[in-house]
Amino acid sequence: MKQAIELNINGDVHEMLVATHHTLLEVLREQLGLIGTKRGCDLGACGACTVLIDGEAYLSCLMLAVDAIGKQVVTIEGLSEDGDLHPLQSAFVDQGALQCGFCTPGMILTAKAILDEEKHPAEEVIKQKMAGNLCRCTGYKKVVEAVMRVAEESGQEV
Amino acid sequence: MEKEFNVVGARLPMMDAAQKAKGAALFTDDLILPGMLYGKILRSPLPHAKILNIDTSKAEKLPGVKGVVTGKDIPDRLYGIVPMAKDEYALAKGKIRYIGDDVAAVCAIDPEIAEEALELIDVDYEELPAVFDPFEAKKDGAPVIHDGIKNNTSFAIKKEFGDVKKAFAESDAIFEDTFFSQAVNHAPLEPHAALAQFDPLNGELTIWSSTQIPFFLRRNLSNTLQIPESKVRVIKPKVGGGFGQKIDLFAKDFCAAWFAMHLGKPVKFIYDREEVFISTRQRHPMYITVKTGMKKDGTILAQKFQSYADGGAYNSTAPTMMALSCFFLMIPYKVPNLFYEGYHVYTNKPVGGAMRGHGIPQARFAVERQLDLMAERLGLDPTEIRLKNSIHAGEPHSAGFVINTCGFSESVEKAADAIGWKEKRGKLPHGRGVGLAGASFPSGVSNMSHISSGAVVQVGRDGAVNVLSGAADIGQGAETVISQIVAEELGVPLDDIRITAADTGITPLDPGTFGSGVTVRAGNAAKLAAAAVKQKLFNFLADKLEANAADLVAKDRKIFVKGSPEKGLTLLEGLKAYQYADLPMPIVGRGSWMAPADEPTTLFEQDGNFAPSYSFMTQAAEVEVDLITGQVKLLRMVTAHDCGRPINPMLVEGQLEGSVVGGMGQALYENVIVEKGQMMNPSFLDYGFPTFLEMPEIEAIEVETDDPIGPYGAKEAGEGTQLSPAPAIVNAIYDAIGVDFMELPITPEKILDALEEKKKT
Amino acid sequence: MRLPKFEYFEPKDIKEAGSILKNESTAKILAGGTDLLVNMKHRVECPAVIVNIKRIGDLDYIRQDNGDIRIGALTPLKRLHMTALITENFPGLAEAASAVGSYHHQVMGTLAGNICQQNRCMYFNQSRWWRSSRPTCYKAGGEICHVVNKKEICYSTYCGDMTPALLVLNAKISLTGSDGIREMPIEDLFSGDGKAPLSLEPDEILTEISIPSDANKGVAAYIKFANRDSIDFPIVGTALWASMEKKEYRVAFTAVDRKPVRGQNVEAFLKGKKLDEKTIKEASALAAKEAKPVKTSVYSPSHKRRMMGQLLQSAVNEAVRRST
Repeated sequence: MKQAIELNINGDVHEMLVATHHTLLEVLREQLGLIGTKRGCDLGACGACTVLIDGEAYLSCLMLAVDAIGKQVVTIEGLSEDGDLHPLQSAFVDQGALQCGFCTPGMILTAKAILDEEKHPAEEVIKQKMAGNLCRCTGYKKVVEAVMRVAEESGQEV
Repeated sequence: MEKEFNVVGARLPMMDAAQKAKGAALFTDDLILPGMLYGKILRSPLPHAKILNIDTSKAEKLPGVKGVVTGKDIPDRLYGIVPMAKDEYALAKGKIRYIGDDVAAVCAIDPEIAEEALELIDVDYEELPAVFDPFEAKKDGAPVIHDGIKNNTSFAIKKEFGDVKKAFAESDAIFEDTFFSQAVNHAPLEPHAALAQFDPLNGELTIWSSTQIPFFLRRNLSNTLQIPESKVRVIKPKVGGGFGQKIDLFAKDFCAAWFAMHLGKPVKFIYDREEVFISTRQRHPMYITVKTGMKKDGTILAQKFQSYADGGAYNSTAPTMMALSCFFLMIPYKVPNLFYEGYHVYTNKPVGGAMRGHGIPQARFAVERQLDLMAERLGLDPTEIRLKNSIHAGEPHSAGFVINTCGFSESVEKAADAIGWKEKRGKLPHGRGVGLAGASFPSGVSNMSHISSGAVVQVGRDGAVNVLSGAADIGQGAETVISQIVAEELGVPLDDIRITAADTGITPLDPGTFGSGVTVRAGNAAKLAAAAVKQKLFNFLADKLEANAADLVAKDRKIFVKGSPEKGLTLLEGLKAYQYADLPMPIVGRGSWMAPADEPTTLFEQDGNFAPSYSFMTQAAEVEVDLITGQVKLLRMVTAHDCGRPINPMLVEGQLEGSVVGGMGQALYENVIVEKGQMMNPSFLDYGFPTFLEMPEIEAIEVETDDPIGPYGAKEAGEGTQLSPAPAIVNAIYDAIGVDFMELPITPEKILDALEEKKKT
Repeated sequence: MRLPKFEYFEPKDIKEAGSILKNESTAKILAGGTDLLVNMKHRVECPAVIVNIKRIGDLDYIRQDNGDIRIGALTPLKRLHMTALITENFPGLAEAASAVGSYHHQVMGTLAGNICQQNRCMYFNQSRWWRSSRPTCYKAGGEICHVVNKKEICYSTYCGDMTPALLVLNAKISLTGSDGIREMPIEDLFSGDGKAPLSLEPDEILTEISIPSDANKGVAAYIKFANRDSIDFPIVGTALWASMEKKEYRVAFTAVDRKPVRGQNVEAFLKGKKLDEKTIKEASALAAKEAKPVKTSVYSPSHKRRMMGQLLQSAVNEAVRRST
């Protein structure tokens, strides 16, 4: 039996019927039409399903939707304000840090969580914390460059 | 090189990059249609068995299940990407041939019910003896995997160029070595997917598929569903990586279409990651024996290859793969006499198919390793031996290849220089080493049927340019590259271009993304189409500008007389005048391009040029071996790369960087581990391809050669780069610890075993 | 892969959680979910009841208490390698925490969750369809162990990264049940039985981990050997605690047996000795004999044994470096 819950997604409060065995990833994609969060493996080993929960990077495929009650959930759709690209999104675009784009939402959200935690992390720290986001296209180099650029350029909260 | 072009050669973001960064780009699983149903495939748990009976009654009765289908229900139509190698049914008929083979499919109102329904299908199997090794499989008396295929050898190729026997007799040094290249999986981040919809009123099927080959898919669907091609529309949404794994019709395409046609509702199939690993495609494991005859100064006189490809249960691209593996042994080195013998052998295991490089990486690994072995044996330097044998542009070629541009020897020198060859080779402390390897790859292959590309360019009154191309962008940026070419031709910025691609209902024919032919084929077609538009406009404006059409130039949204920029007008003014002259708008141009060939050749029958152009490169690696744990760290990879002229250097770098990490994965981290036909590691956790932390320093050096065939001088840049990282790394390991490895992958266990072995001797 | 259905509870305190567990034998605790939910998708764990303890307060803390360090069960792994109290005093523990899975797993995963993780085996950690190629294994509810081909035995391997690092610090754990709280050395948690790896009463929940004050009188290191530097479980993990002054050493291994292994022979051999090259070599040879791994993964047992010794060398090098 589904239960009625409230989820706060990208600042909007959604009232919805959710089954306890549905993952946050399933609810985002299948009930809310937020298809920016991707399913790469469904077992937490690729990071394509990354969302921010109270600012932290979570694997939404390994999270029950009901566990997101009372939390602020941010998906890739919640990053751009008023249609403008977030600095991380711009950097990915300008630096060629994406090719097929499937891993990209997860990458960008993880990068945001890292930069929110530490404004100017060292390259090694970025690589370490993003290592759970797999990519088969880019070889990672331009992703690191894009995140570093934002880290260097940002004077204030990203 | 001076900046001759405005758009070509510019580092521009992909046109859909912002969309992808926002999560707004639509992949197949992102598409939702009203009333959509969900499908799942039941797969064989056995490696080889007869299907005696399938009882679907319980599954059919499960509430929410709308349909079940098995091999018995579908037409008796075999399919295969290569017509001569059709050996597969969309759902198995009569028998299954590997663990993971498609047996049945269900369709339900939600994915959970579909999963549950699979559990309710009872299959009666009669297990058959299975065979898992190609050498066992080709023996007389081995289990027969496909009826009528003797010794389980579905394809064999034997070719000789020149006189190998004579050349060996004249050689100063002859060595024979055997190599093994393992099975690896493409592992694209987006799983295979299809969404099909059928309109019963006009009998038309529309299918959105994560595919590299929309037009081939249309043909295969038409054949297997027995409906005309004109009633099948294949649309390619964004594709989350392919690398060759999304070439072929898969059960998900057929079954989505089947259910859509029978149930009158849209049907979506998405593969689980495990299914992508086990039931799609992988790189063929290959056993290669190379015998090389050389003069003592390192000049290659003859080479003899024998290779066995472990094909898995079906053919997929087998004949093409074996042919490529053979013929492209003749670049980048002069091999005046070559004998090649290759066999594709069935086994009851996951299926080998096209994977970035398509048979050439395995052969290249063997050649590049052996060159280093030969260098060592003859007391020569590995860079010297490569320079000595390098082919050059314009030289006659023993197989009839036409090499218009070749930056190979330059790439050897540049890569060696950049890695610090002279200072480092043989001179670094134990555990550190440098190595290099060369490579070359065709820019698409000539003269196979369907290998032409079409394009339509339309320019409207407002200056907006619409491009229709059949090209399949799978993330490499093909649409952007094609658009850049059109923009350059028309003298407008990239922002003015809109491109619609890979929709068989709208766009012109294109073979798809494989063999690295897109930039040359589809790019040239688009260039011709744009030129045709330009010609119409120029012909009209020539009188107005008091010049010959041939003297007009389109640049910076202006049209003017060459050398006299003041004698001109803006593009918008020109279009307005064109329209006001009552000429048809939009201005439409068409182009079609197929690789030129002087003589008719097919890959298997005759000698001759096999590709419109060839890319060349050398990759140099520096590695560090942890002598305690055996782990090898690739510290740095330098690639000196001749792709003619990069249409978009940023995208070319992206290809290179991805290839280096992919090649490194094959060399050090990846392995499809199969036990009695079962893949033991079908997950991103257990099949460990490289993460950010394994990434080496990557440096790219451009060697520009400006090819006459390619659009704006361009040659391929997508596959050649994945040929040489693995041998460069293995060659570097030799420099680091003095051990010659003859197989991939090089695991820490093998390193420690080798070091212990060395200590004893 | 979809999750199976279950009854779901969010108890408000540990007592309530314990009583739910007591009433339903298949009930499982949900903490970070990164272990349990994967196993549920694979259908190797199908609890009828899930008890989500994350809403219970005061289980996420790192405190100092008379020199001992007390860590709440639900402390995220990330906090362990980002809290000065841990990184400065127990770098080996911080090292282990940053070696678990990927950064995401460290954000979601908890210390107790990592300690209490399910044992692993390549025949067990697979989808239901994959496992249908052979009879269900004993651990998954069948009869046979495919690793050794014997009935009614399970050789699945314990692969947690945190436990060996805690073992060498002589850490203790607190288990809260209906009868109150029991404190015990962490090694007593592990039964050595692959099928039921934890020695817990039906209603007991691990609520606290404590590190005795004398733990930072020595240096500790945790060396993880895996295919890649992120995401992966250890092929072998080795923890070392060394007091260079007292010449006292503690060694522990993970991923080599059905439970974490304390290297007692190595410790006895090393006691009182200086860590010179000859000693380390002999100790490594002994380390390779401290367990008899079997082939529960694609990595060979002989390689695992060799790595136990090799990693001891690496751990010693690191410990020496840290003590200077």
